[in-house]
Amino acid sequence: MVNVRRRRRIGRYVLLIAVGLIFAWPFLFLVATALKPATQDVFSFPPSLVPRPPVLTWLRDAWTEIPFPRYLLNSLLYVLGGVPLFVLVSAMTAYPLARMRFRGRTVMFFVVLSTMFVPTELMLIPRFLVVNQIGLTNSYAGVVLPGVLSAFGVFLLRQAFAGVPHELAEAARLDGCGEWRLFWNVMLPVVRPSLAIAAIFGFIFVWNDFIWPLVVLSSDAKFPIALGVAYLSGISGTDARTLSAGTVISLIPVVVFFVVLQRHVLEGAKGAVKG
Amino acid sequence: MSSPPRTLAPYLFLLPGIALFGVFFAWPAVLAVETAFTDYSIVNPTHWIGMANFAALWHDAEFRGAILHSFVVMVGLLPFSVVIPIALAILVNNALRGIQFFRALYFLPVVTSMVAVAVAWNYVFDDRGVLNWLLERLHVTAGPVHFLLDQHWALASVIVVEGWKGAGTYMMIFLAGLQSIPDDLHEAAQLDGAGGWQRFTAITLPLLRPYVAVAVTIEIVNAMQVFTSVYVLTQGGPGGHTETAGYYIWSKAFQHFQLGYASAAGIVVWVILVVLAIVNYRVTSRGGAQPW
Repeated sequence: MVNVRRRRRIGRYVLLIAVGLIFAWPFLFLVATALKPATQDVFSFPPSLVPRPPVLTWLRDAWTEIPFPRYLLNSLLYVLGGVPLFVLVSAMTAYPLARMRFRGRTVMFFVVLSTMFVPTELMLIPRFLVVNQIGLTNSYAGVVLPGVLSAFGVFLLRQAFAGVPHELAEAARLDGCGEWRLFWNVMLPVVRPSLAIAAIFGFIFVWNDFIWPLVVLSSDAKFPIALGVAYLSGISGTDARTLSAGTVISLIPVVVFFVVLQRHVLEGAKGAVKG
Repeated sequence: MSSPPRTLAPYLFLLPGIALFGVFFAWPAVLAVETAFTDYSIVNPTHWIGMANFAALWHDAEFRGAILHSFVVMVGLLPFSVVIPIALAILVNNALRGIQFFRALYFLPVVTSMVAVAVAWNYVFDDRGVLNWLLERLHVTAGPVHFLLDQHWALASVIVVEGWKGAGTYMMIFLAGLQSIPDDLHEAAQLDGAGGWQRFTAITLPLLRPYVAVAVTIEIVNAMQVFTSVYVLTQGGPGGHTETAGYYIWSKAFQHFQLGYASAAGIVVWVILVVLAIVNYRVTSRGGAQPW
């Protein structure tokens, strides 16, 4: 009996690892290629995952071939500007939807919901025209602002606010707390875990966003890192190893972030459905 | 119910959201409709041309091809959004030591950028890449398959990359679904002598139904806008065989600068999308509330 159970558990792990390899293998080859010395072929039959010996040359090359520090800094600026705005606007929109009765509430709910059914790709041209008219093309604000309002963030936080006990708000009101102070000093701290989840997803969206910056930016001085990597891959003659190295560098921040906060990310991915 | 209290507070809270909606959703939507009836092209003066763009789209074989490819993507991605993720969710729905690591690993492609993913997959798809090596070792193929350059394989390759990248999202949706099913349901069925497969079809699947509805809705919206993977893997090639609706619209607007024409195409695609979403909602929500 014990043996059967144990064998089943080992079987489970074998399956988990096999499936894990399917999700990991492209990344494994990416990292291996970035570290392979010039004397070792990038491709070989059978494929080799072991750089002999590992070298850092390509990472250095990628770093200098395109203005990598500049692109990383840009991505950081987009994150620092976009994510707090995204969290704040999501919270401010979600709060009345979750906790207040007012005329037009249903309308507002559908307004937010509708943003989910207007895919970015289809809004590309008209949004570009608008941003062009208000003079925000090729600007940091032009990159960040269109993504600030999202149904995902609003519904995530609406769910969180709805779960705050009514007694808490009542007590604060009795103490003469105004609506804004109630929101800022009582409600926001209570839903902090959900704010963190929103911020994490905001970070991932902003860091990986590709098509909108591609359209709105005309100067590569403002490129985020994702565009930088695409640019690197487009330079003819870029060595496969250099390209891999550049890609690896672009992945480090988001992967580190994800590994550290994975529990919250996965909770968020689950929680978003239950709005 | 009494009428809502008259206070300004909720509207003040909503102000930033409403403003952003106005500037980046409502205004562009109006502009999109307006531009669709013109020959707006940045370079030449703009004229009102009525339905001409839509008429031209009707006869545009390239556009029809792009719509067809998007439908192929939508159908091709379904297994990656429902069947495979349900299997994955069942696989990771336990308390084994280290299970969190595997969940995170399966979710990893979701948090990485499509650009990076495409670079990584190039090593899989290359003539001398892992996949060709495997296929030759298993004697499935004699020579290398040019996955991204062969018109029979290119779109399938794009679908595989998109499906692989997105599977983790759907897995988490179904994991939430599985964890919402009370344990005693399974225990009671087990006591009644129901086997694993029986319990899966009689309990798990019906209770997952609203989650399937959510997953399919998200999948439809995502599939209709597949762009970045095409941009970085194939640029629509070979010979337009991977040109999706999203890529077509982008290339007409920002490579050929036919913004009026591209806007019209965008509206057609959007109408198709809304119709599909409604049909999907009707079909999947019968007999069960949507979890959102």
